[in-house]
Parts: sequence; C-alpha cells; structure tokens
Amino acid sequence: MVEIKPAWSEQFEPGRLRQIAPLGLAAPITKEWAWGGATGAGVKVAVIDSGIEADHPAVRGVSGGVVLEYDPESADADENGMVATHGPHEDLYGHGTACAAIIRKVAPDCELYSLRVLGARLTGKGIVFAAALDWAIENGMQVVNLSLSTSKQDHFAIFHEIVDDAYFHNVMLVSAINNVPSPSYPSQYAGVFSVAAHDGKDPFSFDYNPSPPVEFGAPGIDLEVAWQNGSFIEATGNSFAAPHIAGLVARILSKHPGLTPFQMKTILAAVASNVT
Amino acid sequence: MKDRSSDVLREVAQLAANVGPALTPARHLELLRSITSAAMSLFGAAACSLALVRENQEELEFHVASGAGAEEVVGMRVPIGQGIAGYVVSSGQPIAIEDVTRDPRFAAAFAEGTGYVPRSILAMPLETEREMLGVIEVLDRRTRGAGLEGAGEMEMLSMFANQAALAIENSRVFTDLGRALFEAAGAAADGTELSQALDRVAQTAPGPSADLSELAALFNRLALVGPDERRLATRLVGEVVAFVGARRWSR
Repeated sequence: MVEIKPAWSEQFEPGRLRQIAPLGLAAPITKEWAWGGATGAGVKVAVIDSGIEADHPAVRGVSGGVVLEYDPESADADENGMVATHGPHEDLYGHGTACAAIIRKVAPDCELYSLRVLGARLTGKGIVFAAALDWAIENGMQVVNLSLSTSKQDHFAIFHEIVDDAYFHNVMLVSAINNVPSPSYPSQYAGVFSVAAHDGKDPFSFDYNPSPPVEFGAPGIDLEVAWQNGSFIEATGNSFAAPHIAGLVARILSKHPGLTPFQMKTILAAVASNVT
Repeated sequence: MKDRSSDVLREVAQLAANVGPALTPARHLELLRSITSAAMSLFGAAACSLALVRENQEELEFHVASGAGAEEVVGMRVPIGQGIAGYVVSSGQPIAIEDVTRDPRFAAAFAEGTGYVPRSILAMPLETEREMLGVIEVLDRRTRGAGLEGAGEMEMLSMFANQAALAIENSRVFTDLGRALFEAAGAAADGTELSQALDRVAQTAPGPSADLSELAALFNRLALVGPDERRLATRLVGEVVAFVGARRWSR
C-alpha cells in the first residue's frame, strides 16, 4: 500500500514535533475530565460539504439539512442570489458522508446537520460559503466542520468576516488546511481550529502544533472512510483530519456546555498526545 | 478602394482573432504535456491528466493527458457536480483514494469515459490566488519514488500543479489580450477610434483583465521568441501606445 504524507503533516512526525510543557494548573486537564463518559449528546454539528448520505450505516441519520445554491436567476433567490432548499438531500461526491461518519464515530450521539454547498457550479462560491456560515450561526450550530479551502484572494475578506462572526458567537469552526503550503482560507485564520493529517489512526489521539497556522494533527492518512452508495473506501487528505477534531470538540461540549473557542483550544492543547 | 482595404483588414483581423487562440498555445500545450508526463514518470503512474474548468463554471474538460487512456480522455467533459475531479475543484482540497472500484457508481462512470478503470487516484486542485483553474490527476501510481518520503506525495504533486496553473494562467492572458487587440483592430478598420474600439472590446471580453504582473509575465515570454518577432511586437505595442496617447491628448 502506498503511504502518503500530505503537506503540513510532516511536522507531526516523531522527533519533529516540539514537546510542550503542561500548563501547570492546580488540577491537570485530562482526557477523562475533558470527554470521559460524554457522547456529544445534544450538540449540534454542521458539516459544510457535499451533503450527507443519511442512511449510510456509518452515519446513522441526520437531524436536518439545507442545500445552498447561488442562482440569482431563480424566482426563489434572496437578495444575495442565494436559494436555500431545506430537507433531506443526497451526497454528490461521498466526501460529506465521510466527514459525517468520522464525527459520528467520535461523538456518537451528536446531532448532525448537512449544509450542502458544493455542487453543480463554481460561480458564487464565496457567497454560498458565507450563506452556509450564516445559516449555521442563525440555527444554533455549535460546531462546524469545514473540509474546504480556497487560495482565491477575492475570498479573503469575506471569509475573514464570517470567521470572526462565528468566533464571537462561540461557534467552533474546524477547518482542514489545504495540503499545499500556500495561502488557504479560512484554515489559516486564527479564529478557526486548523487541522492537518498526522500519521496516527486512533480517533481519540491528536497532536497540538505550537507553531501555527496549522494547530492540530489528527488521523487523515490511509483511512477507511464512508463514501456514497453505502460504500467505504480508503482515502488520504487533510479534509479527513478535520472531522476528527470536530467530533472531539462536540464530545467535550456535551460534557462542558458554554465553552468558548479559546477555552476549547486550551483543553485540546492540554490533552494532545505530544504534551509530555 | 479604401473601403475594400478596410473590409479586408477587418476580415483578416477577425480571422486572426478566431484562429489565434488555436495557434498560440502550441508551446503551452507542449509545456502542460511535459508536466503530465513528468508527473507520471515520477510517480511511476499508469496515467496523469489535467482537466480545466470550462467558462460556464459547470464542467471540467480534460485538456492534456499522458499514459493509459490518454487519447480517449482528452476532450472529455465531466460535470463539476460529481466525481473526484469535481470534488477537488469544488472543495479546493486534494484527495487520494486507493480503491475507487469499491464505489461501483464511480468506477462505472470512469470506465464509460476512458475505457480505463484505475484503482487509485491522487487529485490536486490547480489554483492560483486569482482563480480555480482545474485539477491534475495521477492514476495508479506504483511507487513512492526516491525523495518523496517526508515531504510527501501531495506536496510533490502540488509543485507540478503550481507550475501548470501558472502556465495556464499566462497562456489565457496571452490569448485574451491577443484576441482583444485583433478585435479592436478589426473594429477600428472602418475609421473608428482605436482607443474606443479597445475600450469596447475590454468591456465585452470574457475572463479576467490583464494586470501589470501578468503583463510582465507576457513580456517575459516575448523575450523567448526570435529577434525579428520581438522587434515586430515592440513596434506594434509602441504604435498602439502612441496612437492611443495621441488621441487622448487631442481630446
């Protein structure tokens, strides 16, 4: 089997990752304290992607969803040219299902919502993305998985504004960094949980990188993932690492409601595998 | 007599505007082919192909390919709303899948198009800071190859992707600019002011306008042609600038 190491993942290799000292709190933050006995129950997690196959055996149902399309010609379009279609929908590629199944594995009782933004055309991608984030904030999503990125400069400002907006609403945005070491939005903003693939397979074991922009390393290399038509495939990409962190964040939130994004990052950093 | 020569000039300019894009990218296609064949041999792959987003932003068209199924795949169009290539340009995320045959619908779609069904795909977006251009795909890579460890295969492919993306962007600027100039020349042949004709073409021309950095890249390419052509190009640009400048002064 060919082994792939995406860009940004090499800094999580043994010997390269800086070991960091514990915070020295009166009582240490442990995995048991963080998520022991928790299941993600009651936490709303949005997957902004290609849709989720709700009846996939690894997904076991979704709580809701919306398809967001940019179509200014449509009679149903709002002032931004957006058309929102609520209700069940299929997964166009299989990728959203893969992400949903990973989140389900880590936080089995969370409420999954499918926000489908990938689709038939590239036109208006920035607007569609913005609409999805707005939908997530307005509908009380607490965790948002974004396995998407763009290098397009035109999107820089709009994404930045949305990420700040989400941060100030205590919405945890977990974003896969692009596999290439060039600008990639929104994963390089400080307000998101930026994730790349590391070489592990344990969904409850991740690394914290004290030299951002990429902050977390989670499984994403040669993984068995859910795909469309009820199938499973073996795949590699940073986009599979992000949902591992999204699932853990949901799990922690179900045990410790009301945490802010920076408190959540503190907890994750405290229980990362490279803290010695 | 004067009218006739104007007509001829207009027709020649229109012809050049239409035919030009088909002729100018000869070296550009050569470069892209060298990128796919280099990637193919580096990854010990069965094939490598490059698909670009079409103007309608709804389809990908395979422009260049090397290896198995190459002849069949070139010219093939696939909707952006499905498949691995569609996912990659939509999400901006590279992906590697080791066993595509486990998704029967996907495998069938692939076989229908090229007659070649790969087992593994490594796909990377072709993207610049200005736009999403397309995707480069490596099929059935056999070895990791020397020097790929550590930095990783995706990072290696991203270098090819960057090179291809810049080459494509440069070529498009060249083609768009050439078409605009020829169309303007054709429109101005009947005595219309050239600057006005240029303005009109600029307003209706598809695609991004050329900014200064892209012009610089164009001049860089120009430096590679022969001395006669270079002198001709310099004179042409000089004439255009002088003409436009003179008309502006006279206002």
